[in-house]
Amino acid sequence: MYSSPHCARFLGVVLGLAVCAMPQSASAEAEPALHAQIDALVAKRLLDRKITPAEVCSDAEFVRRIYLDLTGIIPTSTQARDFLDDEGGGKRARLIDKLLASPEYALHMARVYDVMLTERRIPTITSYDVPQAAWRAYLTESFAANKPWDRMVQEILGSDGADEKLGSGVKFYLVRDVEPHALTRDVGRLFLGVDLQCAQCHDDPRFDDYRQADYYGLYAFVQRMKLHPMMPRGAQVAETAEGKTTFTSVFTTKSGETFPRLPGGEMLADPMLDKGKEYVVKPGPKDRSVPTYSRRLKLSERLPRQETKGFARNIANRVWAQFFGRGIVHPLDLHHATNPPSHPELLERLEQWMVEHRYDLRGYIRELVLSDTYQRSSLLPNGVKELPDDAFAVALLRGLTAEQLRWSLLQATGHIEMHYAKLAAAVTKASADKKPAVAEPEWKVKHVGNEALERQSASLITAFAGLAGQGEGAFDPVVDQALYLRNSTKLLPLLQSESGTTLERLGAIIDSKSLAGEMYLSVLARRPTSDEIDEVRRILGDAKSPAARREALQALVWGLLSSAEFRLNH
Amino acid sequence: MSRRTQLFDRAVSRRTVLAGAALGCGALALPLRAASAAAPRKQLLLLFLSGGASQFETWDPKPGTKTGGPFRAISTSLPGVRIGELLPHSAKNMHRLSVVRSVNSGIADHFQGHYAMQAGRIVPGYPVLGSAAAKLLERPGDILPGYVSIRRDGPKAYTDVGSAGFLGAKYEGVRILNNQPPENLVRPAAVAPTLADAVDRVRRSANDRFRRGREPAAIDAYGTTYDQADALMQRHEIFDLAKESPADHERYGNHDFGRNCLLARRLLQSGISCVRVTHFDWDAHQDNFYWHQVRCGEFDRTFITLLDDLEQCGMLKHTLVVVSGEMGRTPQINHLGGRDHWGRAWSVAMAGCGVKPGIVYGSTNETGTEVKDGLVKLGDLFHTYLTALGIDSQTKYEINGQSNPVADPAAKPIAAVLA
Repeated sequence: MYSSPHCARFLGVVLGLAVCAMPQSASAEAEPALHAQIDALVAKRLLDRKITPAEVCSDAEFVRRIYLDLTGIIPTSTQARDFLDDEGGGKRARLIDKLLASPEYALHMARVYDVMLTERRIPTITSYDVPQAAWRAYLTESFAANKPWDRMVQEILGSDGADEKLGSGVKFYLVRDVEPHALTRDVGRLFLGVDLQCAQCHDDPRFDDYRQADYYGLYAFVQRMKLHPMMPRGAQVAETAEGKTTFTSVFTTKSGETFPRLPGGEMLADPMLDKGKEYVVKPGPKDRSVPTYSRRLKLSERLPRQETKGFARNIANRVWAQFFGRGIVHPLDLHHATNPPSHPELLERLEQWMVEHRYDLRGYIRELVLSDTYQRSSLLPNGVKELPDDAFAVALLRGLTAEQLRWSLLQATGHIEMHYAKLAAAVTKASADKKPAVAEPEWKVKHVGNEALERQSASLITAFAGLAGQGEGAFDPVVDQALYLRNSTKLLPLLQSESGTTLERLGAIIDSKSLAGEMYLSVLARRPTSDEIDEVRRILGDAKSPAARREALQALVWGLLSSAEFRLNH
Repeated sequence: MSRRTQLFDRAVSRRTVLAGAALGCGALALPLRAASAAAPRKQLLLLFLSGGASQFETWDPKPGTKTGGPFRAISTSLPGVRIGELLPHSAKNMHRLSVVRSVNSGIADHFQGHYAMQAGRIVPGYPVLGSAAAKLLERPGDILPGYVSIRRDGPKAYTDVGSAGFLGAKYEGVRILNNQPPENLVRPAAVAPTLADAVDRVRRSANDRFRRGREPAAIDAYGTTYDQADALMQRHEIFDLAKESPADHERYGNHDFGRNCLLARRLLQSGISCVRVTHFDWDAHQDNFYWHQVRCGEFDRTFITLLDDLEQCGMLKHTLVVVSGEMGRTPQINHLGGRDHWGRAWSVAMAGCGVKPGIVYGSTNETGTEVKDGLVKLGDLFHTYLTALGIDSQTKYEINGQSNPVADPAAKPIAAVLA
């Protein structure tokens, strides 16, 4: 509730912040932690708009949400129970730190950033792609090491597929067929938060900030690139040393010429090179041309910098949206004057934090999820029917991504634990004679171990992933997905009560109340209400034979898996 | 069965019986046209000649010239208009068609052409015609998907280029390969009906509890997809070609295109807003004349059979039929007797809703190498299709805070072709 002592505290922090905003000489220790600043700035807007926010979420809401957001998977019944029963102080912060340090955090972030960066695009010629496993491994390793975002972007944009260290980063270019217009648009959208698409053919009539010259300034960086096929399979990026960038408006027929230029930056003229010195490798029928001066490398050096308009702001806003279901600027790729941020001061602060902390994503995420703003309930305050999405006054109901849904279904039905128990048994047997010399990093063990589970649940991704090229959008359920959860024969194996699954475990529990407790913890990460226990008791009570009892249990678990509560992150 | 579905059934069944009896069209147990007879929904049928049909061997013959090839031009039901002899049935029906002979799309590539001819622009990310029509022709309470795309299963990746773009998965439509119904429409045999019912009861009561005290929009949207699933499961027979009579199978032809067109008729009759049928293998880089004999032979009779049926059912009045590929073929005949990719001067045909019958618009020069008059760009065609369907092509989609023109603002409809 929004009581006055709270307000006083929030305002105090807001005032403190005003002081901190002055030159950096102010003591760093005096500055409140970022999560407190977030809460203060969000609270200030709530006061202005006279909005009463939702209460702090319950431990049960929190444990499901934080596991989904930091690891991409709902907790097991044991994990949920351990947290709910933990009576020690600061247990939310402790769990946050534990999850952020887990290999599942890196694996989850890699899945999220894979979808964000490739948008599930498939190149026209599929054999000209970086294998998914290699690309995911690159991303997972990067997140496990908490590689700064600016460095990741530099590596991805700098990769031409020939340098092994950056080898799989080239996927960003390859899935777009190294097509300069597609690259221009997506470099703008994904790294700078500006969709310049309309500015390709004319100045965008909607916004003064999007000029055709901006589009072609970015285009000039990628214009000289092209796909270089390799035998037997695969592709790299080639680049030439010539090609001017000119453009004509379809409306005004006004034309222009440009060198590479980042939004808000200076034009970068190509250096004058002596004739014959333009190439490291000259273009030839079989040769991948490599220019002496690479505009692409220039892009990879210049773009991921604080000076590039939108770079820090974009990532601050994107990560925010990942945890709150909505950007402070929304849609995420429409940063411009007529689409202002809902919380300008806050976005400013987040951007500044990113730069000060050198794009420390893990540290940033930690602050976001420590905030009260993140830890609000999805239950509306008493008597309130709706709250504006852009106030961050209530936890928004977010659809699970296809990946979160896949892993959570596997978790709820007990298949992840079952799979790893089998692997562990096999390893124990084999390792009786020899142990590996160097231990693999944890993320890599899981990355490989998960492969079988991914194959087993591939049809779920097909059914629930969005369209290629569209990224992960707002929750937009479609009928095919309901049909899948109802009728897919590929889903059925997950719902059988074979040894080691949740259903088998539940089948062994005689008492209906304990059974309901275990079922709700396994599927929904919370304990059942008395109504829910009664429902379980009634349905099981109607089942007279062992076969009927098995069917009733299956119906209960399947029904909960099909519920909105399971489908949503709330 | 949900309450809404029951009401819906009652509302349509009486009219259906009347319509079926009066018009004697292909029997559909439960047609789904919710529209009243006074304002039938506009529909779109896109026959896509994938690979790129030759305009010389179809709508724009140049017999006796160095680019003309071996076939004759024949007279048609339109005085003074001749088309290729490989389309005898179409020739007899030219007075019902509207042919544009002056398309310069500027694209000579399968992938780009497939996208651009359907999205009405070159810029990527826009919804294709079927998705756009599904969205723009949608009515409140619609249960069926707005767009169904039918094709033979084949390795031609470019036939799947293009999507619903920013309209999202809901408008992506249903893809039917080899006349197989969409996946998961039928409860698996291993699932007892009692189990399925119990699952549904548990789901519903869980949703009711979860909904209390929360914003209902997302929860209800999810629940609605299950109601839609119910409705589709009950009507899965609309995808079942075996329900059409042997006589109709015979009339449409014993080949993929014939079967696909028969299914298209069935789906249009069921109320699907837009159906696309892809006809394969027009990409005749060698033996162009042999291939066009085969392709045109399949296309011509089936096309006119379908047109006849739509007319007879009274559906052509509100159904626009478009015949287009991703490009045309070169005037030059290569050393393998083939014609290559060509976007500078080629033809597209239309019939039905919103277009003038018996029109030939624009022309090419004597050897068909350039558009002579009435230049039409690909963006103009997209405007024309939408306008013919009664959609204001100057409007914009307003989605997720983004405003996007439905058709390229730099293009416009072809006024002379529109009714």
